Amino acid sequence: MGKQTTGQPYPALAWRWVSERGVRVATGEATLACYEVLNSTKFQEIEDIIPADGSLLLILRRGAAMSSDLQTALALPRDPPPGETGSLHLIPLEYGGAVGPDLPALAEQAGLGVGDYINSHASAEYTVAFLGFQPGFPYLRGLSPALHAARRASPRLRVPAGSVAIGGAYTGIYPTEGPGGWHIIGRTASVLFDPQRAAPALLRVGDRVRFVQA
Amino acid sequence: MIEIQYAGQCDLVMDLGRPGWGALGVPAGGAADPAALAAANRLVGNEAAAAGLEIVQRGPVLRFPRGGVVALTGAPFAAARSSGVPAAWNETLVLAAGETLRLGRAQTGCRCWLAVRGGVAVPSLLGSASTFLPAGFGGHEGRALRRGDRLALGTGPGDMHLLRGGPPPGEPDAPLRVVAGPQVGLFENAGLAAFFGARYRVDAASDRRGVRLGGPAVAHVRAELPSQGMLPGAIQVPPDGQPIILGWDGPVTGGYPVIAAVIAADWPRLAQLRPGDSVRFVTIDVEAARALAVEEWDIKELG
Repeated sequence: MGKQTTGQPYPALAWRWVSERGVRVATGEATLACYEVLNSTKFQEIEDIIPADGSLLLILRRGAAMSSDLQTALALPRDPPPGETGSLHLIPLEYGGAVGPDLPALAEQAGLGVGDYINSHASAEYTVAFLGFQPGFPYLRGLSPALHAARRASPRLRVPAGSVAIGGAYTGIYPTEGPGGWHIIGRTASVLFDPQRAAPALLRVGDRVRFVQA
Repeated sequence: MIEIQYAGQCDLVMDLGRPGWGALGVPAGGAADPAALAAANRLVGNEAAAAGLEIVQRGPVLRFPRGGVVALTGAPFAAARSSGVPAAWNETLVLAAGETLRLGRAQTGCRCWLAVRGGVAVPSLLGSASTFLPAGFGGHEGRALRRGDRLALGTGPGDMHLLRGGPPPGEPDAPLRVVAGPQVGLFENAGLAAFFGARYRVDAASDRRGVRLGGPAVAHVRAELPSQGMLPGAIQVPPDGQPIILGWDGPVTGGYPVIAAVIAADWPRLAQLRPGDSVRFVTIDVEAARALAVEEWDIKELG
């Protein structure tokens, strides 16, 4: 996650059931580290692990109970997260105009000129906190607080594929055309998700991203 | 081969889904009632995981130029063979070369599954043949079937039996069983009383992504949370207080509070909810839910 480590181990993880197959684990700042640890351990009863914003959802195989090993893993203090390891991706991006219709209003709301807004968005290095909403949709952490913006009051019915957007504290990229409630500031030609590729998602949790103005 | 002479409302190629890709934002998807598709496959001699069709509300007209061995499971639809004879459910059907299978409307429930000997042959993407409509991949060209489509079939197993299947017993009008939480604490008492006391009606805007409900508002204290992982059956409550039960193709993360989640044993009943149906919820504990989780079909030789 690119956080400075404090050297302090993390406390035991609190978790709750979501039906009898979901285990919602509160991971706070250590989400990616916990994901790596639990994912690499290959617990037999776990069918899938979904990282999110400060939590993981473990999906258990149908009929499976949590093993004592898994319960122990959740209860034990863990080592601090490892250092930055994710790959760095440069994403070419065209800002504003027809492909970024919300940019002027967002810049005004942030008290910035459009050029300064773009500079601020393009100068940050982002980390993929998690993927969700659509296959390959990255929630990118690292957005300047001045650029945070509540979601649109009414979602758009059609957001084009490749649209780069702002939602709350995140910037993200829509891989597929579809409805969306984030503010659209530009578009990239990068293909975020292709199920035919060996690596279907361009970005994975923990990867780093920089936007390059096209 | 199967020729689609007329398409139904939304006919999708499905197998048992593609679990394991949640971290990329891809839900497991697959047949809404995996046990029903697996049973249909067993009735035609296939592996349980072979690809078949999931048919919703109004079915297609299918032609089998070279004949075929098929089975239908799930909700009973009006369905006739070329001769006009009704097509039976839950048993092996042998279709002659050139025969058509004409499916009309669901008589009760909402979805049925058709398995065909050899399975529908489509490319496997992320380990599955299932169609995932929200991102347009999987199944037949990532979409619902259309008139004129032709589906190739795989090679069937060698031996052949005529079989009949008995679905696990069910009570269609019983309340849906849920485990309460994880955010039950964010709801007001009146909201909880409404959710667990009232009947909710299934809205027309329901599909494989989610079953939308209408009824007394489920009031909560906080409308938006940090995004959290979701799974089918999780019941999200958006700011308007009208609950949404996430479906098989729902997003893997969501930001609304989750009041409760439908247990896996009742996902097949979610598959059969149609607009206008009313639902109630009753809580069950995790251990009891897990003990219920695996349903068995009883499959016997015909005759």
